[in-house]
Amino acid sequence: MVRSRIPRVRHMRALRASVLMGALVSVALLGSGWSSAPSTRTASPSDVVSKIAPASAPCSNASKGAGQVAALWKRDEQALGVPVLKPPASSVCYVDTSSYKKRGPYTIAFASQGPTNAWASESDAYVRYVAKQNHVKLLYASANGSGATQVGEIPSLLAQNPQLLMVQPLSSGVEPGLHRAALRHIPVVVCTGLLTDTNDITATVNRSYALDGTIMAQWVAKKIGGKGQVAMLSGIAGVPTAEYTYQAGLAVFKHFPGIKIVTHQYTNWSPSQAKTVAASMLVEYPNIKAIWSDSASNDEGVIAAYTAAHKAIPPLTGDSPNLLLKLAKQYHVQFAVSAYPPEQCGEALAVAVKILEGKSVPNQIPVNSAVYTNKQLAKYYRPSCSVNLYVPSLLPLSILRQLKLCP
Amino acid sequence: MIQPSRDSGAAAAAISRSPRSAILRVSASLGGLALVLIAAAIFTPLFYSYANLVLVAQSVGVIGIVTIGQTFPLLVGGIDLSVGAVSGLTMVVIAVVSGGSNDHLLVAILIALALGIGVGLANAVLVTRRNTPPFVATFATFILVEGALLAWTQGTPSGEIPGALSPWGAGTLVGIPVPLFVFLALLAVCAVGLGRTTYGRRVYATGSNPIAARMTGIPVRVVITSTYVICAMCAVIVGILNSGYIGYVDNQLVNTINLNCIAAALIGGTTFIGGEGGVVQSALGVLVLAALLSFMLLLNTGIAGQLILEGGIILAAVWLQSSRQLGFDSLRRMRQCLVSARRPLSGGTPRP
Repeated sequence: MVRSRIPRVRHMRALRASVLMGALVSVALLGSGWSSAPSTRTASPSDVVSKIAPASAPCSNASKGAGQVAALWKRDEQALGVPVLKPPASSVCYVDTSSYKKRGPYTIAFASQGPTNAWASESDAYVRYVAKQNHVKLLYASANGSGATQVGEIPSLLAQNPQLLMVQPLSSGVEPGLHRAALRHIPVVVCTGLLTDTNDITATVNRSYALDGTIMAQWVAKKIGGKGQVAMLSGIAGVPTAEYTYQAGLAVFKHFPGIKIVTHQYTNWSPSQAKTVAASMLVEYPNIKAIWSDSASNDEGVIAAYTAAHKAIPPLTGDSPNLLLKLAKQYHVQFAVSAYPPEQCGEALAVAVKILEGKSVPNQIPVNSAVYTNKQLAKYYRPSCSVNLYVPSLLPLSILRQLKLCP
Repeated sequence: MIQPSRDSGAAAAAISRSPRSAILRVSASLGGLALVLIAAAIFTPLFYSYANLVLVAQSVGVIGIVTIGQTFPLLVGGIDLSVGAVSGLTMVVIAVVSGGSNDHLLVAILIALALGIGVGLANAVLVTRRNTPPFVATFATFILVEGALLAWTQGTPSGEIPGALSPWGAGTLVGIPVPLFVFLALLAVCAVGLGRTTYGRRVYATGSNPIAARMTGIPVRVVITSTYVICAMCAVIVGILNSGYIGYVDNQLVNTINLNCIAAALIGGTTFIGGEGGVVQSALGVLVLAALLSFMLLLNTGIAGQLILEGGIILAAVWLQSSRQLGFDSLRRMRQCLVSARRPLSGGTPRP
């Protein structure tokens, strides 16, 4: 009898193929927790805020910078009626940008994360608006949420000889590109993200993750009288926006021995996933007194889960899209939000113009954003506009209409 | 070369349809399910509470529908990576076209179906006419659909999901989530279709050996096209149900749908080589995955533990399936040899 080797070879190949694809799927599942996926916020691995090294350009007046940071913390904590804490040590100082002074009009390159969602679309629209107001020629590149794409785009932008490079970083992979810009004496401004190596960065414009996490945790602790079960919901595991905000919140809760953090879950900033997670939490922890959340996307899911289970919705925290305000009004939800405004990169562009005018700017600009509770809902809610609109918005109505966010 | 006799071929066919082979086919996924259920009973008894079982049933329904769809391209040796994008497209179309109104819901659903079928046909054309590897073709379609969505909505899909979809996505019938009923109905239809009809035999024949299938007169291109269209339609159904589940367009869901349906099919034993597996096996894989996801949530291990355990179980399931397949094939070859050895040669080339 002649033995054919073909079936055996075929099945060995099948075995290898199956194991390989199974491995690929597993790696994909493992990697999904550390991916720089697009979200309402950028993904920028970095050190904690207080340990950022100052820019290499001449930098002075640190006390003025520190005073501004402290004032911002105080303002936001008072807005939520929580105790004013000493902010973490920062290295804010004023950068001498006289060596970058040029005559206008200016050409500024902008490496955007890309309009992958409502927040990012509003961000891009506001950048274009500010550019038009300041007669800036904008060289725009969209990474469509991909860190790898963004890394490749920066050399292309630099090849067009901009006078300044502005980056909305998706990963620390952009740092070599920023170094190339610095070598060419092109100033760099970073917005809505934090990078570890700041030597090549003239200014960073970002809402403080530590501030957001801290004041939301302080509000929760105050709301429940410093006692009870609390659940914490974050976005995408490994993304600094989620992790640093969470760590700041956790640090506050550690000062309240009566507060028990029963669970910390990741939802990928997906309302559907958040609903499933919240429904599961209801099974295991029916007595949760408050939910600390870093995003309104989580809150939407929580509200859906609790209403489906006919349970009272616990106090929530998050950021500030119109949808959360609509749901909060409908279901009488108590909340505290700290907006992560899409206008940050537009503000960064205004800072970029000042740099090119030779004016001194802080190396770190913690963004001032709306911080409020359900008591101020009527002031911020825009019932005629889309649920995707992030409020309060600095965009003029004409642009909101173009984006189909308002009628 | 000695040709195997018809009797040995019949014996081989009888072996593949025997109850024992059926048990072997599902043993790995049943074993995995038993493992998860036992672990849940020990570590998270709340897993068996009514509220949690409803959640598991909801997951089974949603993941199950898209996995059934994914099974079809897998059976013909392909894969469809565009299911997440089609689901996302469906949600956006429903929100934008209906504008939140129940009056325009039917039109929105029909448009979403038409677009989904269009994507399925595009995948099929690339695979059958241009001989593009299915992984590449469907991944390209995924990116194309995502790009088209972004261009259309500029990242801000306006409109809300009509309330009429809520009972379908988030409602229950006699205490059981509606998506589970949809899944079971689809499973029954597809199981009968694949197991008891000419079409089903053609799918398996195409997946086992497309060249031989073509030579026997099977319209291989038509069969492959049908699998991608069915997969896309299942993705549309999932998009409709997900819309009703949360009530708004959820962009982030796109990423999880692709991985979940492939993982479930793999765990169940539907492989990438084609011609092996089926919707029932994939459904078992869905049960394992849904139970596992719920168990991990209740276990509160943290994200690192969750991902490591999920990836590990998928690897184990794939390894077990492949080992089972090798063992089963060895057994089959041994039986073929024994049967051939007992019977005299009927025609063919005489021994030298």
